[in-house]
Amino acid sequence: MFNIFKTTALTGALVLAAGAALAEYPEKPIEVIVGYSAGGGTDVMARTAALFIEKYLGEGASIVVKNMPGASGQIGVTEVAGSAPDGYTLGTFNLPGMMARTIDREAGYDRESFTYLANVVNDPNVIVTGKGSGLTTIDALIAAALEAPGAITVGMSSLGGDDHFALIKLQTLTGAEFTIVPFKGSAPARTALMGGHVAMGILNISEVASFTEELNVLGVATEERSRFAPDLPTFKEQGIELVNGSMRGFVAPAGLPGDVVAKLDAAFEQLSGDQDFLKAMADTANPVEIVRGDAFKALTSDLYDLAAKVWAETPWN
Amino acid sequence: MYTDLLHALPNVFALANFAAVIIGVIAGIVVGAMPGLSATMAISVLVPFTFGLEPLVALGLMAGIYNGAMYGGAIPAVLLRIPGTPAAVATTFDGYPMAQKGQGGFALQVAVVSSSLGGIASAFALMLLAPPLSKVTLLFGPSEVFWVAVFGLCSIIFLLGGSVIKGLISACFGVFVSVVGSDPIYGNDRFTFSQLELLDGISIVILLVGLYALPPVIDLLEKPLKTGVDDNKLGTESLWKALPRMKGFWKTWLRGSLIGIWIGILPGAGGSMAAFMSYNEARRSSKTPDTWGEGEPEGVAAAEVANNADTASALIPALTLGIPGTAVAAVMLGGLLVHGLQPGPMLFRDNSDIVFGFMWQFLFGAILLVLLGGSLATNSFAKLLNLPRPLLGAIIIVLMVIGVYSIHGRMFDVYLMLGFGAVGWVMDKLKFPLPPVVLGLILGAFAEENLRLALRIGRGDWAVLFQNTTSLVLVALTVGVIVVPLVKSRLAKARQAEGQA
Repeated sequence: MFNIFKTTALTGALVLAAGAALAEYPEKPIEVIVGYSAGGGTDVMARTAALFIEKYLGEGASIVVKNMPGASGQIGVTEVAGSAPDGYTLGTFNLPGMMARTIDREAGYDRESFTYLANVVNDPNVIVTGKGSGLTTIDALIAAALEAPGAITVGMSSLGGDDHFALIKLQTLTGAEFTIVPFKGSAPARTALMGGHVAMGILNISEVASFTEELNVLGVATEERSRFAPDLPTFKEQGIELVNGSMRGFVAPAGLPGDVVAKLDAAFEQLSGDQDFLKAMADTANPVEIVRGDAFKALTSDLYDLAAKVWAETPWN
Repeated sequence: MYTDLLHALPNVFALANFAAVIIGVIAGIVVGAMPGLSATMAISVLVPFTFGLEPLVALGLMAGIYNGAMYGGAIPAVLLRIPGTPAAVATTFDGYPMAQKGQGGFALQVAVVSSSLGGIASAFALMLLAPPLSKVTLLFGPSEVFWVAVFGLCSIIFLLGGSVIKGLISACFGVFVSVVGSDPIYGNDRFTFSQLELLDGISIVILLVGLYALPPVIDLLEKPLKTGVDDNKLGTESLWKALPRMKGFWKTWLRGSLIGIWIGILPGAGGSMAAFMSYNEARRSSKTPDTWGEGEPEGVAAAEVANNADTASALIPALTLGIPGTAVAAVMLGGLLVHGLQPGPMLFRDNSDIVFGFMWQFLFGAILLVLLGGSLATNSFAKLLNLPRPLLGAIIIVLMVIGVYSIHGRMFDVYLMLGFGAVGWVMDKLKFPLPPVVLGLILGAFAEENLRLALRIGRGDWAVLFQNTTSLVLVALTVGVIVVPLVKSRLAKARQAEGQA
């Protein structure tokens, strides 16, 4: 008797599941998990992009942003990795942080836990010095650091983040040595720089764009000049092959069905050409650089390898 | 710049924008009055909703909530000895004894007038002096901030009165709690026992609610028949009659406002340190320091004026430099970013109407506080005390659990809060002071992080801590705070001995 019930229930469930698969995605609200609190850079990126993704998914699609802050975004991204791959749970993803955390501590996810949808923001690193430091060019800065190894203090937002990796790259490229001063976040680092408490800072372009008069911006770590601040020269122009930045994008749990991936990918593709979206992002200090699907996955892998290499040579904890 | 300030004014009076401030103040008072719900939490809940609102409506709500909550925290502090917000801890010192003596109504009126004046002073500082004051913030690098934290901790231990040893033990407990979580420099786990929930450290609200709210609730339930405050005998009279009795407070108000504004522009310390320092200074200069702690209205005035005076001034470094002076200002910064207002020197030029409008809203929020908090809120909250004690106790416990749960949406924090409650109950019975625990948690983390940053800047040389005038002034103040009470008590003893001989 009980078995019959079970069979009926199972059949019913299967029929329902088949029905669900036939219906057009999305047929219910999509949840986007943000691993930081509301109002932070990643949250603003997610909420701004959500409005446009809704539009491109069409048919009254709705996206609900859910903040799960804590442990540098780890709590949120672990939740995403463990969710059902049905397209109704997506999450924000930060690079290189999310990969670095799999190296410097035990994490509940790894590179293979996700379907990589799209990276949306690429906020390149910049090197800045205080107005009173007298170091107005990157060459002068490096000469000073070579002359007295470790005498130049570098303010940055944390160890094991994009700014830390940028400094390691700079040290490898030039042979100069610096003393790292990791503040809690970039604004305190920037303030210490303005107050002359540290000599140099590695920040992101969005964080210095409003402070160009108060600080010397020596260069931007991009291949080509950033659309976000076209007046600032790249390091490449100045003969140093330094390219690095902080990235934020969207992922889903691994094993997302192909039709759902296709639908989301199309939405992100349209996003990259939407002038309203680009303006909204520029207004909230988010330099856009959309990298989709496999290219995003490759990017993540590269950054993982870089983080693993840095960790092997100079572990930060 | 001042023409921009006036230019922004008309828009502030638009119906929706002004209504937002009024609603914000009322909501803030209610939130602040509930143990476990803080301004920080209310504003972080609000931020996602402000996406769809006009900037000045959203910012008006936030300005109102901030001002309202800083006063609201005084209501349970006075009536039940439960500070509604971390900043209201110092209000309990004299507010609760006043309520016990049947002057609860007057205590709340002193609190609301003082809060409002502090808020007004702070708003003026923000409107007129933001750029020069942000230069002061720049003077404070890691070594200076370290000394501010040490100074704050020493003043709470040595000036609070009572046993210095017990105060020190309490402060050490607070500092230990601040150590839990990830290391501020390297990010490795400390005392987290592999709990992801502990990685970000222990929120001040969890500690405050457990330590401060649970023991009084247990007291409430222990004595179900005896009421602490007689029904209706709050001693409420109209505000206009109460005002003349406060005219002697102007020095305390002035001093408290300046302290609050100064603490506000320093990164991190926040309203609780401002309130403690103002209370200490006011008591030190009082002619009758012995009556303090036993229901001295000026003590309530000192604490409340200072914890509102750091509201708008905490936004000075937040708006000009992107570093918030308090936890609330940090959340508000998020709210500003949502509306495309990025902190920095350009903010005042590019978005002057909105930024200056926001400052006006702070001013009006502070003024409205007297009108809304004075009669309306004070009377209705005072009625709460007429509830049967078991019911009141039960309501407070429910609020505490909801408040703590909603910080991160997890039961773990609730269990942690109950644990702190047990600790708080024992400390209360053994007469260990609780305020040093709160400041120990807030300032301990600061002291540690900044000491380590300073030592990195000095490449391991401790001399870096004494290298400039700002540091040396703070060192001198700290030494003064430790030595002066000792010398005073020696002198008093010597004089007593002489008198006997």
